[in-house]
Amino acid sequence: MSHHLFLLSPSDTPLYSLTHYSSKPSQSTSSPLASNLPSWSTSAFAGTLTALSGASSASQTQHGQGGTVKIGGGQDRHVIQMIANASLDAIEEVMRKESVMYLKSVDKFNEWTVSAFVTPGNMKFVLLHESRNDDGIKAFFNDVWELYVKTMLNPFHTAHTPIRSPVFDARVRASAKKHL
Amino acid sequence: MATTSKQYKAIGEDLWKGRTEKINAELFALTYGALVVQLVQDYEDYAEVNKQLEKMGYNIGTRLIEDFLARSGLGRCADFREVGEVVAKVGFKSFLNITPTVTHGALPPASSPTRSSMPPPPANAPGTSFTLQFDENPLAEFVELPEEALEGGLWFSNVLCGVIRGALEMVQMQVQATFVSDVLRGDETTEIRVTLVKYLEEEVPVGDD
Repeated sequence: MSHHLFLLSPSDTPLYSLTHYSSKPSQSTSSPLASNLPSWSTSAFAGTLTALSGASSASQTQHGQGGTVKIGGGQDRHVIQMIANASLDAIEEVMRKESVMYLKSVDKFNEWTVSAFVTPGNMKFVLLHESRNDDGIKAFFNDVWELYVKTMLNPFHTAHTPIRSPVFDARVRASAKKHL
Repeated sequence: MATTSKQYKAIGEDLWKGRTEKINAELFALTYGALVVQLVQDYEDYAEVNKQLEKMGYNIGTRLIEDFLARSGLGRCADFREVGEVVAKVGFKSFLNITPTVTHGALPPASSPTRSSMPPPPANAPGTSFTLQFDENPLAEFVELPEEALEGGLWFSNVLCGVIRGALEMVQMQVQATFVSDVLRGDETTEIRVTLVKYLEEEVPVGDD
């Protein structure tokens, strides 16, 4: 079960991304559509078919054969990013209505849910995940927020530039392991 | 010696508590950080930045010592060993509210260079040194040095070395203060070594006389 985290600046520039493979068991719901596809269709074209035939959004995710979700080589990076980008509109809509920081799940695709967290400085943390884990995700977002604030306080870090600090990376991974 | 050390600690504590104007630690750290980053951008050479920080510290130190002596009312130190104690327990405590650990060094040329468990060497000879080990550094909160700074050899808190050098020079001691290690650079500890070069002979009255 994997999670994809993206930190976006107020101008929607990606500043940090992380893929985390959780070892925790989860109920993964397999999409019936994907298992109906012939086994040779692993191309992006097949994915588009899935999306057009069933999903309500234009983005899709690739499924391995037999309904099990394949991670790593089987899932395209740009697919994930497309999902994340598509959810930005939904995030902004919710932001206009309420002004809480943790927006639970703003968007849902085949089996990917997008949760978002908007900081007071208009940074968006977008998390793509498969299972429900509201408390864990909320705790994780709060941790990431704290780590982000500490990074911003580093005089050598320029605001709204990609975060490359290995310390930040290590801590976010540790937090992901703890909460997700 | 132990009693005097406790007394110094008490003096330092009192001085810190007695200060009416204190500054927010985050503001202080952010200001210093901005200063260092600006110097790095201006000079583009980390060795030069180190030198400039030390120079700035020197100017601060020469003025700071007057404030320190006026408030603490301490007299002349008997030997360099005592200088180390006062700097660590009273000086740093009253200005930064930190107490670095002092380790006194042995005289290099004469006896063996081991540090601990040795009878105290003649503590006034040039070459005597003490090392200050910092558990915490209020200047470097939140700081992470980037790759180039690590490679270029930047000592982030080098201003402290300058302050020590400037202050001690105003009380007739010419010293050399340098960083030995820094946790920001990935070392285990943050340490400054202060070595006595010589006593200055000019008779300038210290404190009020």
